[in-house]
Amino acid sequence: MGVGSNADRMMQAVVFNLADQVYAVDINDVLEIIRPETITRVPGSPDFVEGVIKLRGRVIPVIDLAGRFGLARTAPAAENSKIMIVEAGGATVGMVVDNVAEVLQFSREQIKPPPQIVTGRETAYLKGIVLAGERLIILLDVDRILHEKEKEALEEAAADA
Amino acid sequence: MFTDEEISIFFEELEEKLQVISDNLLVMEKGGSSPEAIQEIFRAAHTIKGSSAVMGYEKMSALTHEIENIFDRLRQGRLVVSKELVDTLFEALDTLRALKEEIVASKNETADIVGITARLRECALSCEAGSAAGEAAAAKDAAARKILSEEKGSVPQGGASRPVAEEVELSDVEEAMVREAEVRGYQAYWVKISIDPGCQMKAARAFLVFETLQQVGEIIKSVPPAEDLQDGKYESGFDVLLFTQEDAGQVKNLIFSIAEVIDVKIQQVRASAAAADGDHSGRATAGAAFSQRVQEQSRENIKTVRVDVQKLDALMNLVGELVIDRTRLDRFVGVFESRYDDELAESIQEISSHLGQVTNNLQEEIMKARMLPVAYVFNRLPRMVRDLAHKMGKEVDFVIEGRETELDRNVIEVIGDPLVHLLRNSIDHGIEPPEERVRLGKPRAGKILLKAAYVEGQIVITLSDDGRGINPAMVRKKAVEKGLLTAEAAARLTDKEVLDLIFTPGFSTSADVSDVSGRGVGMDIVRNQIEQINGSVEYVSVPGAGTTFTIKLPLTLAIIRALMVELGDQVYAFPLSNVVETLALRPGEIRRVRHSEVIVVRGHVLPLIRLAQLFNQESAQNNPDERVFVVILGSGEKKVGVVVDRLLGEQEIVIKSLGSYLGQVPGLSGATILGDGSVALIVDARGIVKEGSGEEAFYATG
Repeated sequence: MGVGSNADRMMQAVVFNLADQVYAVDINDVLEIIRPETITRVPGSPDFVEGVIKLRGRVIPVIDLAGRFGLARTAPAAENSKIMIVEAGGATVGMVVDNVAEVLQFSREQIKPPPQIVTGRETAYLKGIVLAGERLIILLDVDRILHEKEKEALEEAAADA
Repeated sequence: MFTDEEISIFFEELEEKLQVISDNLLVMEKGGSSPEAIQEIFRAAHTIKGSSAVMGYEKMSALTHEIENIFDRLRQGRLVVSKELVDTLFEALDTLRALKEEIVASKNETADIVGITARLRECALSCEAGSAAGEAAAAKDAAARKILSEEKGSVPQGGASRPVAEEVELSDVEEAMVREAEVRGYQAYWVKISIDPGCQMKAARAFLVFETLQQVGEIIKSVPPAEDLQDGKYESGFDVLLFTQEDAGQVKNLIFSIAEVIDVKIQQVRASAAAADGDHSGRATAGAAFSQRVQEQSRENIKTVRVDVQKLDALMNLVGELVIDRTRLDRFVGVFESRYDDELAESIQEISSHLGQVTNNLQEEIMKARMLPVAYVFNRLPRMVRDLAHKMGKEVDFVIEGRETELDRNVIEVIGDPLVHLLRNSIDHGIEPPEERVRLGKPRAGKILLKAAYVEGQIVITLSDDGRGINPAMVRKKAVEKGLLTAEAAARLTDKEVLDLIFTPGFSTSADVSDVSGRGVGMDIVRNQIEQINGSVEYVSVPGAGTTFTIKLPLTLAIIRALMVELGDQVYAFPLSNVVETLALRPGEIRRVRHSEVIVVRGHVLPLIRLAQLFNQESAQNNPDERVFVVILGSGEKKVGVVVDRLLGEQEIVIKSLGSYLGQVPGLSGATILGDGSVALIVDARGIVKEGSGEEAFYATG
C-alpha cells in the first residue's frame, strides 16, 4: 500500500522546449515522440492545425502548439524538433515541439497553481507550474488543449453566422 | 447484474428468434398450418420465454408463454390456423418487438400486454379444432406428426443400455429422452459444477454456464431447477443433465473456461433398458424434434465463430497497411531493376509479385469475412410489405431473390432505409388497387420483385414493380406546381431529365399526402444515402407497366479506386466512382459566364472550379498559355469540371478518417497513405459537385 501512495504522490512529465519556454506534459498523456515527417496541409482546417501525418496506419492531425498559445515560433523547423503524439479524451494528436529535453519526476506538491495575475490564452491550458530546483516548468493540460478547441470553433462559427 | 456480454448475447438471440417467428408467421399466413413453421415458432417462443425470464423481463416472458401455449396446441392439432389468429399473432409479435425496443432503450418494460394476451386467448378459443375446417387442418397436422413419429420409429432401438448410475435419478420422461439421444448418437452427461463460494454474481455464472453448454448441446434438466439458478439460489454449485456430441473432456474444458468455476465432475448417463418399453410414443415428437435441433446446432457450431466487428476492423486496418507497403515495395523493385541487372533483381521481383498476390488474397478474404448476406436487411421487408399492403388496401405478391448475396456490413447498415422507402413508394404510388388492376387486365395482386446480385465487382439491387409507372408529363406538371422550375424550363428538359426531378428535394408525385409515403422528403434522401456510400441509384419507368429502380453499391467502403492528382506540392485523390472523364484544355476553351468560369463539353456547359482556389492553395501552374488539366466530376446527373495541376494516375487507396479531432473538413472526405508514406487527402467529390453546380448552371444546359 505504501508503494501505491508514493506513486500517487509522484508524477512523471515529459519536458520540452517551445518558443524559448520550457513546458511539460504528464507522461501518461504521451503516446510517443517521433521525428518530424512530411506534414500534409489540410485546406479548410483551423489555423493552428498544421496538417496530418501518418502514424502506424492511422492518419492523425498535427497542431502547432505555439500558434495555439498565440506565441511566435522561433524557427519553423529547428534541427531537434520533434512531433510529440499525445492522447486525451479519445483524440490522438501530434504537437510540434522545438526540442524534447527530458523526463522529469517530481512530487505533486511541487505543482503550484498558476499565479492569478498571469492571463492569456495559455493559462487556460495550464495544470500548474512546477518548481524543479531553480527552474520553473509550465505543466500543460493536454485534455484542455485538445478539447477547448471545439468550444472555440463553435463560437467562431456562431460569430460567422 | 448481467455483464454487457451476457446482455448482448441475449439481444442477439432475441432478434434472431423474433425474426424466426416473423418469417414463419408469414409462411403460415400463406400456407395454412405448415407443421414445420409451427414447430419453428414454438421453439423460438420457448427460447425467448426462457431467456427473457432469466434476464428478468417478466412481461416478455409472460407474453411468449402465451404464444408458446398457442403453438403447443397448434402442434397437437387442438387449434386450427385462422386469418384472425395469424393477425393477432402478428400483433403479439409487434408487442414483443416494442418490449425489446423499450428494454434496449431504458431497460424497462412499459408496453401493455394485458390487451394482447386477452385477445390471444380469445382467438385461441374461437380457433379450437372441431369445426369442419378445423378437422381438416387437424388431420393434416396429425399426418405431419405421424411422419415425425415414423422417422423416429425407423431408427433401431439402442439395445445395450446399462442402468443409470446410482446417484443420478431420472424420471421416465428423462430416461426416454436419454435413450432417444443415444440412438441419435448423443451422449448424456450428468455434470456437477462447483462455483467459487465467494462468487458475487451467482445468477450470472449459472446463466453463463447454461449459455456455454447450450452451444454444444442441450440442457435437459438441472438441480436445483433452472428457475432457482436464475435467481442465484444455489449453494456451492449445481448439476445439469446435458446431451451433446462432444466428449466429456471437451465439455469439461468449456465449463472451466468460465470464471469462478472451481470444479467440474462429469459422468456419463445411460438409459435403463426397462425405460425403453415405457411411454415413449408420447415423447416421440419432442424427442425427434429435439435431436434434430441438436444436430442443427452442432452443425452451425462447427462452421461459424463469432468475432467482434472491431477485431475485423483492426484486421482490415492491418491489411490496409500491408497494401501500402506492397505499393512501396513495387516502387523499390522498379528502382532496383533499373540499377542492377542480375539474378538478385529478378528474385526480388519474384518476391514482390508473390507478396502482392498474397496480400490481394488476404485483403479479399478479410473483406469477405466482414460481409453479411443481404438477407439481414431483406428479411424484415416481407412483413413490412404485408402490413403496408393491408393498410393501403392493395394486394402485393412480394418476391425476393439473391438473399444470400453478401455485402460489407457497413453497406448493409446504410441500405435498409432507402430500400424501405422505395418499397413504400412502390406500394403506395406504384401498385394500383386490385379493382383497378383487374379493369386494366392485370392480375389482381401487384408484383414486386427485389433482387440482389453481383455484377462486375459491384452489388446491384433492383426493385421492380408492375404498377402504374411514373409518367413524365405528370412529373413535369408537379415540378412546375411545386415551384421547382418554370414551365418553360420544364418544357425544355428531356424525359430522362424530367424523371430525374423526383430526386429533387421537396418533390413528391403522390396526389395526396399519406402517412405511408409522400411527405415529399423521400427520394432525395434515398439518393443521398446511397451516394454517401459511393453507390448510385437510377430508375426506368414505363407508364402503365411499372418502374424498376437499380441501386449499385460498392462491395466495401474501406478500399476504393481513385484518380490521383497533383496540386502544388500536394497529392489529392478523387474517388473514381465520381470521375466521369479527364480533359486537357487550352486556356482559350475556358469561357466566362457572368462572374464564373465554365467549359463546354460536347455541347453541355459545365461550371469550372479551380481546386487551388477552393483549397486556397498555391498552384504550380502559372504559365497562362499552357494546357490545363480538368477532371470532370459527376454526382447524380450533375457535373462540374475541376482544374488541377497534373494527373498522376489511378490507384487503389485505403480510406482513413481524418479523425474526430479535425472532424468534418469542407471539401474533404478523408485521407489515405501513399506508397512513399506521405498522406494524401481524399476530395469530397459529391460535395464539390453539389456546391459547384448551382441550379442556374444546371438548367442552362438545354
